[in-house]
Amino acid sequence: MVDALRRAHRMMTLDGIVVDLHPTASASAIEVGEQVTGHVDAADAQRRHAAADAALAAVLETGLFVVEQVVAFTFYTYGDTIDELRDYIEENWRNARVDETTVSRTRDALSRAPGVRPRSRERIVVTTLRRA
Amino acid sequence: MAIDEDPEGHEIRALEAVVSFAARRVLEIGCGDGRLTLRYARTAAWVIAVDPDEAAVAELAAERLPNVETRAIGADDIDLAPHSVDVVLFAWSL
Repeated sequence: MVDALRRAHRMMTLDGIVVDLHPTASASAIEVGEQVTGHVDAADAQRRHAAADAALAAVLETGLFVVEQVVAFTFYTYGDTIDELRDYIEENWRNARVDETTVSRTRDALSRAPGVRPRSRERIVVTTLRRA
Repeated sequence: MAIDEDPEGHEIRALEAVVSFAARRVLEIGCGDGRLTLRYARTAAWVIAVDPDEAAVAELAAERLPNVETRAIGADDIDLAPHSVDVVLFAWSL
C-alpha cells in the first residue's frame, strides 16, 4: 500500500492530488430506518481498513505528502429484503457474513416498519494528499 | 428494485467537496464496475480506471465512455509516465 502511494507520487503532476476513500475500521451496521438491528461480521475487512490507515500514516512519515483535507460520509446500501441484502453482502464483500440473529432482528423490525428497506451503513473517510 | 448503493449520492458529494474532476487527468485505482467512475468521469479530461477484477472492469468498459480507458490490472502493474496525472483516486483500494 505504501508502495502504491509512492508510485502515485511519481505519476502525479507537481500540483496533483491523491484522494483516498476507505471505510473506517468499525463494523458496518445493518439498519431498519434509524434502528440498528446488528452488524456485518467482517473482521477481515476491518483489518484491511486499519491497514489502509496505517499505510497513510506511514507514507506521511516519509515526508512525500501532506494531508490537505479529511472528510467523512455515510454510505448506505439498500436491499428490498434482508435476505437480498445479506446475500449481496456475503457475495460481494470479502469474507463477510450477516448472522442469523441479525437477520431475524431485521425481519422483526421490518414487520413493524412497512415500506422501509433494510440497509447497511458504512462510515467512509476521504483523505486528500498533496506533495509536501 | 434491487440492491441500491448510495442512492443519496453521499459519496460523490463528499468527493466533489474536496476535489474537482473537471478537465483533470484521473487515474482511478480500484474502479470495480465503475459505480463511482460513472459519477465523475464525464467532466474529466480523461480517466484511466484500473482494477484486477476482469469481469467488473468489463462492465465499466461496456459503458463505452469516450474519455475512459479501462485496464484489468492491479495497482502494482500501473506504468504511467511521471507527472502525467492530476488526480490519483484510490477508490476503496488502499
